[in-house]
This record gives sequence, C-alpha cells and structure tokens, in this order.
Amino acid sequence: MPDGKEQLFEERLARYQATIALEPTDRMLVAGSGSNYFAEIYAGYSRQEIMYDMNKWMAAESRFAEDFPEIDLLRAGRIWAPLFDSVGFRLYKLPGRDLAPDTDFQFVEGEWMKADEYDILINDPVDFMMNYRLPRVLGEFKEKGSVRSYMAFLKGGMAFVLMGQLMREKALNLEKKYGIPQPFQGAMLAPFDALADGYRGLQGIMVDLFERPDKVIKACDALIPDLVNCAVATADPLKRYPIFMPLHRGNHPFLSPRQFNTFYWPPLYKAITLLIESGYTVRAYLEGDWTPNWHYWNEFPKGKILCDVDNKADIAKAKQEIGSTVCLAGGIPDRMFIIGTPEEIRARVKELCETVGREGGLILNGGCAIPYSTKPENFRAFIDATLKYGHYSSTITPKLKKPPATPSGGPVPGHPPRVITPWETRSGELGGVLGDEKMVREVWEMLERRAFCWMHFWDW
Amino acid sequence: MAALTDLTQALVDLKKEEVLSMIEEELKKNTAPLDVVKALNEGMVTIGERFASCEYFISELIYSGHIMKEAMTRLDMLFEQALAADAGEKLVIGTVQGDIHDIGKNLVTMLVKNAGFSVIDLGVDVPAGRFVESLKETGARALALSCLLNIAIPEMKNVVDALRAAGIRDKVKVIIGGQPIDEKVCEYVGADYYGADAPAGVRICKQIYGQ
Repeated sequence: MPDGKEQLFEERLARYQATIALEPTDRMLVAGSGSNYFAEIYAGYSRQEIMYDMNKWMAAESRFAEDFPEIDLLRAGRIWAPLFDSVGFRLYKLPGRDLAPDTDFQFVEGEWMKADEYDILINDPVDFMMNYRLPRVLGEFKEKGSVRSYMAFLKGGMAFVLMGQLMREKALNLEKKYGIPQPFQGAMLAPFDALADGYRGLQGIMVDLFERPDKVIKACDALIPDLVNCAVATADPLKRYPIFMPLHRGNHPFLSPRQFNTFYWPPLYKAITLLIESGYTVRAYLEGDWTPNWHYWNEFPKGKILCDVDNKADIAKAKQEIGSTVCLAGGIPDRMFIIGTPEEIRARVKELCETVGREGGLILNGGCAIPYSTKPENFRAFIDATLKYGHYSSTITPKLKKPPATPSGGPVPGHPPRVITPWETRSGELGGVLGDEKMVREVWEMLERRAFCWMHFWDW
Repeated sequence: MAALTDLTQALVDLKKEEVLSMIEEELKKNTAPLDVVKALNEGMVTIGERFASCEYFISELIYSGHIMKEAMTRLDMLFEQALAADAGEKLVIGTVQGDIHDIGKNLVTMLVKNAGFSVIDLGVDVPAGRFVESLKETGARALALSCLLNIAIPEMKNVVDALRAAGIRDKVKVIIGGQPIDEKVCEYVGADYYGADAPAGVRICKQIYGQ
C-alpha cells in the first residue's frame, strides 16, 4: 500500500462511521455521496463503456480519485451489464444495447407476478421464483428445461461471481491506492418495494392495496427473512459499511398515510431492526419526497441510519424532524451541479454548514447522488467549500467502530439463510460420508445459500 | 338522475363492485350510456380534486383509473371515444428523449383529461422533432414535457429550441415537470411554466386556455 494510504483510509472510514453515529467529528465528509454518477463518466467514457468494460470503469474511478484527491468516499461500481445479458434480464434498458450509448440505464415497469400468485409466493418462495417469476424476468430462462435455459443459469452464475470479483478489485483499488472507503456494501429493498417494483408493478400493486390487502401484508412479511438474509450475505463481513437501501414507494404521494402505515412501514421497520440488531448500519435513499412519512425514522435507535434526502424534500425540515435520530445526506439540488455556478455551490455549502450541518449529522450531497452532467468546476467548488466551511474541531479524531457479532443462527431468529436442497437430503442420498462431514456440509450449504440469493438478485 | 349521482359517488368512494352493478342497472333501465359515462366522468373530476387537495393519493388515483377501465369495457369503448371527441382544448404531452419513465406523465394525462382537455400523449423517450410535428398536426397551444432523470434538463432545452427553430415557439406554451425540475430549471430551459406536481398541470392548462 502506498505511503499513508492505509491511515488515510482508516481516518476517512472512522469519520464516516462517526458521522452516521451522530458523534462529534473533526469535519464534514467531502463528497460523501453514495452514488456519484459524475465520477463514472468524468474520465470521458460513455455510459455503455462504463457498464460493459470493467477496466474502463476502474480507470475512470482512478482518474477521478487522482483529480479530486480530497473526496472521502467513492462507490466502486454498480452493475456489470454482461451479467444482465447473460440471463436476458428484462427489468432494465441498457446504454448501448437498448438505449443510445450515452443514456442512463433505466428501470422497466412491468407486471412480473400475477394477482393470483400471492399464495405461491407466500407459501413456497422457491417454486414461485423458479416456476413463475424467473421465467418472466430472465428472457434466457423463458423456455424452462431447454438447453438455452440451462446455459442461462450457468452463465448467470459465472457472471455473478465474476462481477463480485471485479467489484472487489475496484473497491480494493480505491482503498489501497487512494485510501478511499466505500459508501455502502450489500443492498436490500423494502419488502413492499420488492413486491411493488420487481413483482407486481405499479399498476398491479396499487390495485392489490384495494382488492387483496391481506395478501399484500402477508407477502411483505413472508419476504422479510429472505431479503434480510440475502442483504447480509452481500454486506461487508467486517460491518464497516452501511447496507444500501433505495426506497421507492414510501415517497409521497404514492400511498396514503394509512396505507404507508399498514403496508410499507411495518415490514421495513422489522427488516431494518433485524439488520441493526445484527450490528449493521443502513444507508437509505429516501427517493422523491418523504416529508409526510419521514417521522417514522425516529422509531429506530439513534445513530444507526443514514438517510439521503432527495431534491423534492427540504433538508432543513428533515434535520428538524428526524435529525436527532438519523444522519442526513443531501441539501444541494441536482440542478445546481448541472446548470448552476461555482458561486452558487459555494453559497449553498456555506449556508448548509452554518445551519443544517452546524452540529454534525449531515453529509453534503445532491439528491441521492451527484448527477452525471455535473460541471467539473461545480464539483471542485463543492469540495473546496466543504473543506472551508465544514470544519468542526481540531482536537477530535474519530475512531473506527467495532461492531457487535451477528447473533448465532443468523440475523433472522428462526429463519436461517435458505437452502433449496438441505444437506440432510444430500447426505441421506449418499448414505452418509466417510470422512469429515462438517467439511463437506459447510461448502454444500454455502453454495446453496448463495444460489438462493442469486434468485433474489433479480428482484430489481 | 338520483341513481346517477349515486353512481358518481360510488366511483368517488372507489367501490368497484357497486359501480359495476349500478352500471348494469342503469343499462337495464335504458339510461343513455352517454349519461352513465358523464356521471362517471364527474366522479373522476372529484377524484382529481381530492388528489389535488391531498385527500387522495396516487394509489387512489390509479385504482380509480382501474375501475373506470372496467366500467368502460362494459359500456362500450365507443362512448369513451364520443367523450374524447367532445373534449375541449388540446395538450400535447410526452417524456423527453433519453428518459423512459411515465408515471408522472400518466398522472398529469389522467388529471388533465378528467378536467375536460383532449390529451395527445406521445409516450416516453420522445425526440424533439416528434413534439414539433404533433403540435403542428393538432394545433395544440400547450405542450407538457415530463421527466424523472436529470439528463432530461438539457433535452427539455433542446425541445424548446426545436420549437423556436420550427417557428412555432410563440404559438405554444411549454410546461415542464418532473423530479429534477424547479423554477431555475424552467428559466434555463426557456419553458413558460413549471408544474411542481400533477394537479399543477391542470391549473396551468386552464390558465393557458383562459378557463
């Protein structure tokens, strides 16, 4: 590791952890964004090149870290498009494939689960995935049992592992060469969002709220253990980073207050509580406007959650209403990065440092991201102004946190990570093993659990 | 007409089964189907007003659309067409090129239609030239541009520039709306109005057409 980078990494990580914990720090984070789209294309690559060519993406991140060495966090990549292609994933349109090479990749709304399939999802999630949802969302798997469908699973499994390796390499590149930690690792959807975005679609879920409300509640409850277990499987084993949670339909005015409190919040609260009790923190993107619903975040223990506040909501109001419980990120409108001037950025950063962020608990950011079309001079002004106005103390040095151990048996009491073929079945078929059973069993179960979570990877 | 008022109310209360059985009864009584459609349309106007005043939410709006769809299936699509032909001033709407999101656009379309306008919905990922063509074809004096992504900001400016290049900028009022849009963006794009939410779209259309 180049000189001082390990120490720099630890300082930055400790600052990030203390900020989330609402503890005193030396200064505000510089560009503590979760998603930095600007960084992806700053080096001049098209969005297609970034999504298809991991080497270019890594080069883009290196270039960004070199040109803006002050940044405290940088997300190492998101999606490697060939993984989507390997199975024909139908939930996204991709730059250079279905969209012009310089267009953002975009989510496709659709009904991927029928209204009469709730009981299958609730009672037999593996049957639901294998026989109902996956043949619809994975184009290469639509003719189940065909050679092509077997190849899809084979390619999809290999591509998934390959993507994991590439993402790890990118994260290590940022850590070792530039001393930059990750904003999060691992991801989970709110149970309602998994159902609404990836399964029933917007039209379907909205009708279900009126015509089959009990099924919606049961389905969200049934999803909790698997979503939590799979989030933990992809999270940082050292629990240094929060788990990422992009939240969608809690956004006002999608649901009425009663619907939010009936369908959206209870399963999300349960899921996040399980993660917190297992020693994790959470970074939740409150996409859209959460104003009428954000008071619910006060139900969590203090300092475990970071909420990104989007363009539509007022960060000062968020600070007032939930800022004693959760850390906040945001405050700079996307359009200011895109069409604003360095003077405007400096003025806004100064204002936020003197008001909302005066006592800490704030990470300056755009609305859940730094936008693609950010002007470089605006980003430079953002960094400089944060360093100038975001100073808290010369005597405080945040320390790295030591998270508690995951409860034995996994994060969800009574629900160990799911396997499809339990070891007992396999062992019975073998008539027992002659050597060390634990050695065989552990790897069998590890692969079974990963394969199950692979099916949930296609939730969104 | 009392029964038709009940039908309007049942729709406003989102009671699908009641709405559908009341329609059957009306048809049995030989009530003119167009009157039934008008009663339903009044209900949709009230629902739009409730949405504007935050008594109803997108869930209720979408569910009311679902009930209407089933109702119209029974009533014969002809009447929907008759109603559309009867509709008044025109609005061309679409999500700009590069963005395929349509939730906001669809909400505005629904509310503006309910308010009696005729809406020409060009869909999503619409190139600037397509907006120009449609405005020329229909003679609409109002154009609504929708988006979710902030890449749409420069594209909205392209559309306004295209109107200017086609010589129709002064004949059309441009409304923009979507997640990254505010007054500053409106100024940058050179649009006439910015709608902070879907009900604002209705208010602005009424203003444009002097209603």
